[in-house]
Amino acid sequence: MKIYTGTGDKGKTSLFSGERISKADARIDAYGDLDELNSILGALTAQLAAEEKLVVELQQIQSDIFQAGAWLATRPGSPLMDSLQEISEEQIAFLEKAIDRMEEELPALETFILPGGHITAAWAHVARTVGRRCERKVVSLLSQSMKEKAAEPYQRILVFLNRLSDYLFVLARKCNHLHGMPDKPWRP
Amino acid sequence: MKTPVSTHIGALLKRQWLSDKSFEIIIRVPPRFAFEPGQRIRLRLGKYEREYSIASAPGEPEIALCVRCVAGGKLSTLLSVAESGTSLSVNGPYGYFTYKPSPRPAVFVATGTGIAPFCSMARAGISGFTLLHGVSLPEDLYYAPLLRQSALRYIPCLTAAEKLPENSFRGNVTEYLEQHFPPAAYDFYLCGRGEMIRDVTLLIDERFPESLVYTELFY
Repeated sequence: MKIYTGTGDKGKTSLFSGERISKADARIDAYGDLDELNSILGALTAQLAAEEKLVVELQQIQSDIFQAGAWLATRPGSPLMDSLQEISEEQIAFLEKAIDRMEEELPALETFILPGGHITAAWAHVARTVGRRCERKVVSLLSQSMKEKAAEPYQRILVFLNRLSDYLFVLARKCNHLHGMPDKPWRP
Repeated sequence: MKTPVSTHIGALLKRQWLSDKSFEIIIRVPPRFAFEPGQRIRLRLGKYEREYSIASAPGEPEIALCVRCVAGGKLSTLLSVAESGTSLSVNGPYGYFTYKPSPRPAVFVATGTGIAPFCSMARAGISGFTLLHGVSLPEDLYYAPLLRQSALRYIPCLTAAEKLPENSFRGNVTEYLEQHFPPAAYDFYLCGRGEMIRDVTLLIDERFPESLVYTELFY
């Protein structure tokens, strides 16, 4: 498949819903950051290759992020919304269960910790912060342009992103734990 | 809603040459194979596979595909000589290049066999659109009678015709849009080769920026 069309050479791009908009538009900004988050998760997954269960879990999350990205590439009210699958309660519950499972294995957290430690933990923290940025961009997009009814599926994306950042925080701790590295507490 | 993807074994029923380079094949498929007009399938014969837009309407026991013989193209060469009854794997449907009713005028733009999804739409009863079909010669205007019936306006755009048929345009589809389309908001549906998609999309950005653009790229 050819990946270049040249239709974006003058600074515009197409939304899934058919609009031609500037690449500087807030919507492109939001799903571009989601793409960045997904790529960081790819880098993290590559370094966790030996942890098969985690790899499967992270690839599921990468797929879910794609699904969220398709929504962001679609203007609310477009007939194309019918072609998309909404982020479900199950997908959010998937993250919550994973958080709970990982937390059970980890020592209780008593203070702020420094992002870092093992390289995989460091990447998980990078992913977490990019995830938080995505969340901020989606909040901004929602407040700018969406009417209440059409915005419902997008609200669920916000919940997903919020939970995803929590998941990535706990995952970072798990990565340190897996590699025998204690979390570094913040010493003011 | 999205039609689920599935794989079926189909049988080649018929091949009909549309021009010296293009032909239509009819494939019998199981009745449970569902799709929406404008969608495509992945067709496999032996070890060769390629995607084709469906040119027939849904709900029929056969599907029609419009195939262009490509120099060095393995599958199109095989299909051009395959015997009736040959088994083919049909996987799909894929894509979102379906008609979306809207208050804006629909403008369908095709080059060559990129006409296939619009045939499917016309055969399914979609009408009232403007259709530009860009080809080299008048004999490449396959499906013209069918499309003329459904289209509000059907404009063949011919780049190499010696004698221009009535109600045709000498030039390519981009030139027609540039010279004859008043600036307004349209729903453009573009299907064909990359060069056309690029040129028309950039023209839309310039002249029809409030329009929507749906594209299906052919290689």
